[in-house]
Amino acid sequence: MNKDDLTERFASILRRADRRARERRNEAIPTIYIVMSTCGLASGAAETKQAFEEALSDKDIGARIVPVGCLGHCYAEPLVVIDHPATGFPPICYHQVTVARARRLVRSYLEKGDPVFEYVLGALEENDLIPAVTDFARFNLEQRLVMEHCGRIDPDDIYQYIAAGGYSGLVKALCLEPEELIDEIETSGLRGRGGAGFPAGRKWRLASTAKADGKIIICNGDEGDPGAYMDRTILESNPHQLLEGLAICAYAVGADQAIVYVRAEYPLAVKTIKGAIKSAEGVALLGSTILGTTFSLNVSVFQGSGAFVCGEETALIQSIEGKRGMPQHRPPYPVEKGLWGRPTVVNNVKTLSSVPPIIKNGTEWFRGSGTETSPGTAIFSVVGNVKHPGLVEIAMGTSLRTLIFDVCGGIPNKKSFKAVQIGGPSGGCLPESFLDTPIDFDSLTQAGAMMGSGGMVVMDEDSCMVDVARYFIDFTQKESCGKCTFCRIGTRHLLNILDRITNGEGSEQDLELLGTLSEDIKLGSLCGLGETAPNPVLTSLRYFLDEYEAHIKENRCPAHKCRALTAFYIDLEKCARGCEVCVGCCPVEAIFTTRGRKKAIDQKLCVKCGECAVVCPPEYDAVLKVSPPELAPTLERTPDGK
Amino acid sequence: MPNIVIDDREIEVPAGTKVIDAARQLDIMIPRFCYHVALGSVGACRVCAVKFVEGPFKGVQMSCMIDAKDGMVVSTTDEEAVEFRKYVIECLMLHHPHDCPVCDEGGHCLLQDMTISGGHGIRRYLGSKRTYRDQYLGPLVQHEMNRCIHCYRCSRFYQEFAGYRDLGVMQSANRVFFGRYEDGILESPFTGNLSDICPTGVYTDKPSRFIGRRWDYERSPSLCINCSLGCHTVASARYRQLVRQEARYSEEVNGYFICDRGRYGFFYASHEKRPRRALVEGEEVAYHQAIDTVREKLAQISGSAGPEAIACLSSERSSLETQAMLKRVCQNKNWSGPLFFMEQSLAEKVKTATARLEPGLTVSLRELEQADFILAVGADPINEAPMLALAMRQAQRFGGRVVVIDPRPIFLPFDFQHLPVRLHEVDLYLSLMIKAAVDRETATELGPSAAEFYQTIPTLETAAVPLQEQIATLAQELRGCQRPVIVCGTEVVPQTTPALAADQVLLLKAMDKQTGLFYLMPGANTFGASLLSGDDGSFSTTLESIEKGKIKALIVTERDLFWKYQNKQRLERIIEKLDLLVVLDYVDSETAQKSDVFFPVSSLYEAGGVFINQEGRVQVAPKVYLGGTPIKQNSGGGHPPRVYGVGIPGSEPRPAWQVVVEIGNGELPPDEETAFATTRKWLAEGNPVFANLPPIDQFPDDGVRLGPALDVGSRFSLDWQTERHPKRNSDGLELILVDWTFGTEELSIYSPHLRQVEKEPCLSMHTSDAVRLGLSSGDKVAIRFDGGRVEASLCVAENMASGVIVMPRHRLLEWQKIKELPRIVRFEEIEKVSV
Repeated sequence: MNKDDLTERFASILRRADRRARERRNEAIPTIYIVMSTCGLASGAAETKQAFEEALSDKDIGARIVPVGCLGHCYAEPLVVIDHPATGFPPICYHQVTVARARRLVRSYLEKGDPVFEYVLGALEENDLIPAVTDFARFNLEQRLVMEHCGRIDPDDIYQYIAAGGYSGLVKALCLEPEELIDEIETSGLRGRGGAGFPAGRKWRLASTAKADGKIIICNGDEGDPGAYMDRTILESNPHQLLEGLAICAYAVGADQAIVYVRAEYPLAVKTIKGAIKSAEGVALLGSTILGTTFSLNVSVFQGSGAFVCGEETALIQSIEGKRGMPQHRPPYPVEKGLWGRPTVVNNVKTLSSVPPIIKNGTEWFRGSGTETSPGTAIFSVVGNVKHPGLVEIAMGTSLRTLIFDVCGGIPNKKSFKAVQIGGPSGGCLPESFLDTPIDFDSLTQAGAMMGSGGMVVMDEDSCMVDVARYFIDFTQKESCGKCTFCRIGTRHLLNILDRITNGEGSEQDLELLGTLSEDIKLGSLCGLGETAPNPVLTSLRYFLDEYEAHIKENRCPAHKCRALTAFYIDLEKCARGCEVCVGCCPVEAIFTTRGRKKAIDQKLCVKCGECAVVCPPEYDAVLKVSPPELAPTLERTPDGK
Repeated sequence: MPNIVIDDREIEVPAGTKVIDAARQLDIMIPRFCYHVALGSVGACRVCAVKFVEGPFKGVQMSCMIDAKDGMVVSTTDEEAVEFRKYVIECLMLHHPHDCPVCDEGGHCLLQDMTISGGHGIRRYLGSKRTYRDQYLGPLVQHEMNRCIHCYRCSRFYQEFAGYRDLGVMQSANRVFFGRYEDGILESPFTGNLSDICPTGVYTDKPSRFIGRRWDYERSPSLCINCSLGCHTVASARYRQLVRQEARYSEEVNGYFICDRGRYGFFYASHEKRPRRALVEGEEVAYHQAIDTVREKLAQISGSAGPEAIACLSSERSSLETQAMLKRVCQNKNWSGPLFFMEQSLAEKVKTATARLEPGLTVSLRELEQADFILAVGADPINEAPMLALAMRQAQRFGGRVVVIDPRPIFLPFDFQHLPVRLHEVDLYLSLMIKAAVDRETATELGPSAAEFYQTIPTLETAAVPLQEQIATLAQELRGCQRPVIVCGTEVVPQTTPALAADQVLLLKAMDKQTGLFYLMPGANTFGASLLSGDDGSFSTTLESIEKGKIKALIVTERDLFWKYQNKQRLERIIEKLDLLVVLDYVDSETAQKSDVFFPVSSLYEAGGVFINQEGRVQVAPKVYLGGTPIKQNSGGGHPPRVYGVGIPGSEPRPAWQVVVEIGNGELPPDEETAFATTRKWLAEGNPVFANLPPIDQFPDDGVRLGPALDVGSRFSLDWQTERHPKRNSDGLELILVDWTFGTEELSIYSPHLRQVEKEPCLSMHTSDAVRLGLSSGDKVAIRFDGGRVEASLCVAENMASGVIVMPRHRLLEWQKIKELPRIVRFEEIEKVSV
């Protein structure tokens, strides 16, 4: 392989990319970047884009609209960045750009040069006129190694990625011997981002030493945790970084075939990655004889049918083989005997996307972030009761407190923090006392949670931990493939017990059974799904035992969440004479008028939907919720009372 | 070879042995539900957990998933492991309906055993049980999903092992369901095995439902005589009725499974219409009276027309004792025969096959599973010997290639390559394939005759153009494989094929391959018949002699003349002509009904017997029960059954060989001795191949394989090219009579259950022929044969040879009107019947 030849070929591609970027700049017209990934589209980005187009043509203003991927700021969607160099302002980021705001932006900013300060989230560059986004914790505490280009480039335009430094990692890798490359990854300390944190370098080495033809790389994009969407975002926002990582990995282990496994529920991700493969093949960065070398890589996309368990690597392989997605016993590990019996490396989307920056910038640079045992960054999708939910990439070792309270803005509505669920349904719930735990593979596992693939649900005081555990067990119970006894039957009975407790029918023996059953499921299950399924129960039992006990012994739900254990009543002191709002909204006509023309709730009829509490005007705030339900004073309905 | 310590005992096992298997070799039975030796391990049930104390794995692990490694120390009795297993059982029982009292599996249920031995008794978890709607799976298997413990054995057997797709896993999590997409009769002919492998009562044996518990039965090992493979079974009888048959493990023959024809083919033994009294001219008489009558009449005929006026006809389904005894009597009395075959060409083919099965070439059914290239010539495994198809499936499943050269529309439950050529081309294509794989030097090494033989094989250009490339590719594969096996049928193939197959196997063997030869034969004891069969005369000459009045008496043992003979009218005339027709049988066949004197004889289950399967394996079936009319039949529902008389009602039938001896005025051996004991020496004198047979009580379980002497002289001596083959007939279709899995076999058709799974008989022809005749699938057609019209519906198939018409010898078709064979059916003889 001739290195000079190789770099020369890439240099010509790079020149083309630079020329295109330069031409764009020289046009000197405004550029409107609209976040058009799934989250943006869900909050109306398509309509926003249409509004921009219409307004621009109405006013006859020349501007370029560039659909880009996700920036991770889900709370502010639809997000729009307008780069209007003629005005002298830096590129400005606008939040919640609805159709009306889009028209206004065209009218004011693009036409007249007034940047409409009230919609501004921040400027993308430091300047004297507008506060930069980097002044906000949500931006400056993040450390974007993997998601650096997400939301900044058009995912469908390979040249934008190349102009931003893309594919140079692959070129650098191709100049190395595969052996050196694996050494590089091994020294970088990169650990698998799929959840378990297995060192990526070691996995690659195992596969590279396996003596067999036709090795395969599978990119695991079967993201199924409730509330997690990191992989989707990367696939939609910067597919080329993933493909570059895939190619580097294939070169290192000697594979000539790669499969990107994406859920069919991610149609945009599927479309984007397919388009990216095609355009990369078009410039000989994928396909046969990459950049004129002897290295070839055929990349295809496989759409999964949405079984959670297919995220487990052996089940994923079964599913590609056209079989029922059921996990297999390991060993043999896929690196020895995987898809079609060949050595197979299965790496997560985030792991593979971390590879190009490592190769490009060196291991020292990578180890500069994160901790000794978990270098690099972690990407979380933080959802639940936080002010600024969204995708966050932070350095490993950052504390949970920083992430939740500083980066994501803390708990909204003046509520207090109760727990955080990390690692999806297989992770655990950590209470406030663990807020200073650093986020890395080992610390989280020690605390009883796990890194998982990066889902994080923050819960405030209104969350009942028994109910949360029940929710997650309900999920894993349904998603169990049904192969091994404990996962199939054990989780079902965990759910039965939790159902009983949340219905106020629990007994003290149930607590003991929960514990032993959970331990046995952990011990006896075949795959990771079963082994980790009881984690929400175990951690909530460990940290929130008092809540379980309150449910069982006092018939009380401390968070006032479990329907069977709560009751609504109307405080006659506060209730306004003559107000009929609650009566009108009650779906079961449980609210009646008392003798003093105030309202009361018939507990026998009440279904505890809570509508009355919502509609009661804040100046009265007369509807109260109590647990246990016996605390609600009962008012007898008069025979003629409605 | 790793060394492993299990429960303080050390054992050395081959690399790759699972710990659960290593333990079995120490006679330690680790509990299991999902693990099955034939199906392998999946790690679903978790009940085989043991404690790994030392070695690469530590703690409680599944013994079915872990290969034995050096330095492993395993405890099956460790408290933690025992506790864990107990917990698994508890979990499994949470959803089990506890309906053992009404479950047919109760008493031989693995789950029941494990639950009781695990000590589980009290349900600690509340909550409702998961329930399912059961399906109708046909007349053979009863479905009861609520009992399921999800071991996945059924779907693994049905889909992975057997290759059928219509039963499998559906849904997920706690709702996992095993069954079909919708109610319906299971498509596979191996469904009975589901009842055997299910560790609980999800699939139970439907015909024997509610009849008894296993401990109620008289159970004995037995053999299947519904085809030539000789699979091992366990037969169960209750109240003088044979009620159930299960697969019996055999290392060499059938492994763990049997086909449905074998499993449910026993109903003739307790059939309501089974004749149990001796008949003279249709009148029931005492047994000894019938003997006297026959002896008297035979003496008369012998006196007037000479002993050769008495002819004997034996059968392929008779035991070796009966066959041998008939031959002895014939020799003593100078009677004609006995004949063993009604079709002379079949006799020749089988004799060739028997002679050419050299010890080094023969493979057993289990050995065939190891083959990496199977070339089947003139064999239709699913229809002729279903278990052969299952064995071929195993070979295919582990990467072997299966090629079938046959004109019929062959179906196999797996991927295979089919060369649909005409019958007279079968030899050619077999030879072309081998020639393309074997080089001249190799052939020359085998001597001049082999070289000349090789020389006579035409080049590949002789093959039809579309097949040339396929043959070349396959030959290339054949050249690279290590363990090729040629499977050769003996029924439809030309006279020359069995010998040719043997020659071709020798050529392959010369390429340093571990080569095998596997013949299929038409009956359970065809091999025995072939060894005893003499060169004197054929059935057609016998028929002519009867017509000419030279033969006046015919003794037929355990054969229905009408079953496989194509000219019914002629047989009827002949029976008219005979002075005496003596029939010995255990079924009420047409021949039996037309007999002058009839002797009821014992079935296999009452008499036992020695049978030689198609690979020359001599196997013994012991007695299962004493016989007699089933209580259900003779009590007429009365309770208690009142029948007045001496002895067991309906127990008159005796072993056929005894009747034969008595007819021949011979002396019966003393009671405790069997016929085999008395004939063994005589057999050995007649044919040295029998010399080393052990006494009947010392037979190994898998029998003894006979090793016929090497017949070097007949190697490569065949001049098959000059055989006159019918030229392609432009104005007609060559008629091929075939067997089907269900509906064409003489004994299994008495099973009311199998009758329900029979397909409607149909004629098959190639699309091009159908187009020419303006016919399509489903049309009702009639063929005008010399004996009358035969009507059947038509199946048009692409995967068969053109120029042939295939007709099953189905019980519902009057194919015996054909009259003459071979037969070309002219196009004008085929007409569409408007409905």
